[in-house]
Amino acid sequence: MTQRAETAGLTLNAMESMLVDRLKSGSNAYYFALLVTGLMMLAGAIAGLQATVGGHHVYYGVSRQIPWGILISTYVYFAITSTGICLVSSIGHIFGVKAYMPIAKRAVFLSIITLSAGFLVIAAEIKVPIRMLVYNIISPNFTSNIWWMGALYGLALGVMIFEFIFLLLGKYKLAVACGFVAVVGELAANSNLAGVFGLLNGREFWHGPYLPIFFIASGVMVGCSCLILFHLWAERINEGPLHPGMPDCLSAIRKVAILMICVIAFFTIWRTVATLAGHPDGQYVGVMAMLTGEYSLSFWGGEILLSLLIPLGLYLFSKGTNMKLMLTAAILMLIGVFFMRHNMVIVGQVIPVFQGLGVTGSTELLKYSPTVHELMIVVGGFGFVGFMFLLGEKIFNGYPVEDHH
Amino acid sequence: MRLILTTILCSSIFLLAGAATTLAEGDYPEDIYYMKPVIGVVFSHQLHVEDNGMDCDSCHDGIFEMEARLAENEESFTMAGLADGEFCGACHDGDTAYDANTRCTTCHVGVIGYSRAHGLVNEEGPAHH
Amino acid sequence: MKNLKNLDKMTNEGVDNCSVEERRHFLKMGLTVTGVFAGGTILSAVSSVNKVYASTSGFVEKYPYKPHYSMIMHIENCIDCEKCKSACAETNGVPSYGFRTNILERQVAGALDQQREFIPVLCNHCNLAQCTRVCPTKATYKDPNNGIVMMNIEKCIGCLSCQLGCPYNARYFNEEKWAVDKCTFCWESRLSKGAKTTGCSEACPAGVRIFGDLSNPSDRVYKEVHQMTKTVWVLRPQAGTKPNVFYTRG
Repeated sequence: MTQRAETAGLTLNAMESMLVDRLKSGSNAYYFALLVTGLMMLAGAIAGLQATVGGHHVYYGVSRQIPWGILISTYVYFAITSTGICLVSSIGHIFGVKAYMPIAKRAVFLSIITLSAGFLVIAAEIKVPIRMLVYNIISPNFTSNIWWMGALYGLALGVMIFEFIFLLLGKYKLAVACGFVAVVGELAANSNLAGVFGLLNGREFWHGPYLPIFFIASGVMVGCSCLILFHLWAERINEGPLHPGMPDCLSAIRKVAILMICVIAFFTIWRTVATLAGHPDGQYVGVMAMLTGEYSLSFWGGEILLSLLIPLGLYLFSKGTNMKLMLTAAILMLIGVFFMRHNMVIVGQVIPVFQGLGVTGSTELLKYSPTVHELMIVVGGFGFVGFMFLLGEKIFNGYPVEDHH
Repeated sequence: MRLILTTILCSSIFLLAGAATTLAEGDYPEDIYYMKPVIGVVFSHQLHVEDNGMDCDSCHDGIFEMEARLAENEESFTMAGLADGEFCGACHDGDTAYDANTRCTTCHVGVIGYSRAHGLVNEEGPAHH
Repeated sequence: MKNLKNLDKMTNEGVDNCSVEERRHFLKMGLTVTGVFAGGTILSAVSSVNKVYASTSGFVEKYPYKPHYSMIMHIENCIDCEKCKSACAETNGVPSYGFRTNILERQVAGALDQQREFIPVLCNHCNLAQCTRVCPTKATYKDPNNGIVMMNIEKCIGCLSCQLGCPYNARYFNEEKWAVDKCTFCWESRLSKGAKTTGCSEACPAGVRIFGDLSNPSDRVYKEVHQMTKTVWVLRPQAGTKPNVFYTRG
């Protein structure tokens, strides 16, 4: 029975009882996972509310010269991941490459929930979110990357929700149209997110045109791992293979992941070499802090080993058939990239703005370490993604696939 | 009578001992930080006595009182006063020593210098306000 | 042509002046007063006079505002007494955890005359301000008349991008106002009420902070910026924001 027929001819009552039945069908492990992610979400919500009411200066570790902490880097993490998922899934259901088609619905849903998680986390970092809702609309500043980023991600989120609904209802032409708008929106939003950092002349560590390209490439890289992880997880929840085409699909995604790992490695190498060659003011100390300094563990361990080298090795060895290796690669990359985003956001700020002036205190890097509240909100963000994913698997009955092209 | 004598004797011993400890040759207080009329003007006994070989009478004979920072209360303890030969200006006239009107930050270490010398945190804190 | 246009607006300084062409030529030289980077070498600590005209990047190209508020710092006079900071805090209600203006210290061990200098910093009210560009809601903006970078605290959402956009660390989040706070050249507290100078400038006992109108040829700031014998520079010229706070010695 297709989803379309199911949803189309049902009354509200019947739909409710159908949903209840689906939700009751989980294993013990499923409910345990639901409980854990639910608690994570709750912890994040409590921490976020407490900090918003009590004042960020009391509960967060940010400061005047490092105003953006781990919450921004987590937002960046989720937002770029959402873009990556959206782009990878679009290969199939927007551009019609057959191998990528089985993932369409789940991918759209994942893109929606990762972006929502990002929005929830950043809502805890924005000091006066109520004013944001009002003045972003009645007093927009069109030269502001952060405005464009917010508007475009907001648009993409809305459009993706419609796309998802159209997919469920089987209205594929509308879904493809929405999907196309969503892809364009996510791409534009993502590059504006990069512009938020990259267009600041006064912050040399970020400044330059390479960030938008880096963001999109690394987004696709993470998106692939995210899709692999959640599809393999979904197989366990649904206690069986999702779709006959799924192994081929995941294998195809793996190839994209390998390509993107190489692209990011290439970027990382050249960025480092360029900095070492010329010692550019404001960049050199940042890169050195990552190579040999305070951030070296986070850089070599998180950014190089966990997000690039180990996943590269595992993806290659898996040959696209060993799902355990692929699952491990995906999980490690998702952990490693968290450090990659954190390095990008934080190291750009720890270099004092007056360093080039040689004033007292400016030769050392500034310090930032996240507080318990910030970490709880981050945990809450991950909890939200997990919780929504688990719910989605049951509510949407494992996203049954139909060919629609 | 004996009590009075004992008292006088004891106190004179203490006085002598006290004078001996404060006035011993080559012994002087730590750096003085003047706080008026502006914060953070340093005077170093070490620099003047040890490095430049001056003796106590060079200054403590009509120019500065023995007690630190009394000069702050004087109206002429300003740059204008110094230019007229008062206080530091007695030597720092461009002749005996460099003019008080030059090399400002040699003596004016400011709030930053004062805070550093007294172990107060002056720079922006690492994380919280 | 822009300079010529400016000249037309200037008041006549007297009939014995040279021709317009000559004046324009001179003005152009003045206008390309360049920014030697204030820092780095021991040479520049001891004397950076005579090594300034290497760059041709004029940071003063035109004066879009009238008056075009500006400040020039005579940093060799600064003794870090911080009376400016106290006056600023008192005048503008700046809390103890923040500052609108600050004093930086640079120590140069081995310099022969003095081994330290103080550098006052505040909002540079840049012509190409990055804070106003990045603000999503126009909560911070250039005043169209006088070029002061202002805050409309009602619109501030507290994203703090302006703090990152600013190359001069001139902004902080004021927890009481629930908005970013910054130097406005004392616009609300003084200038708008008829005062001619800022609180910090008035409080300075050493004549470090000279406040004035960069578009007025009879103003001291104008005269000190438009000359070639004494070095004038700005902080972090590579940030490209065309700041309106100048620095000089002597």
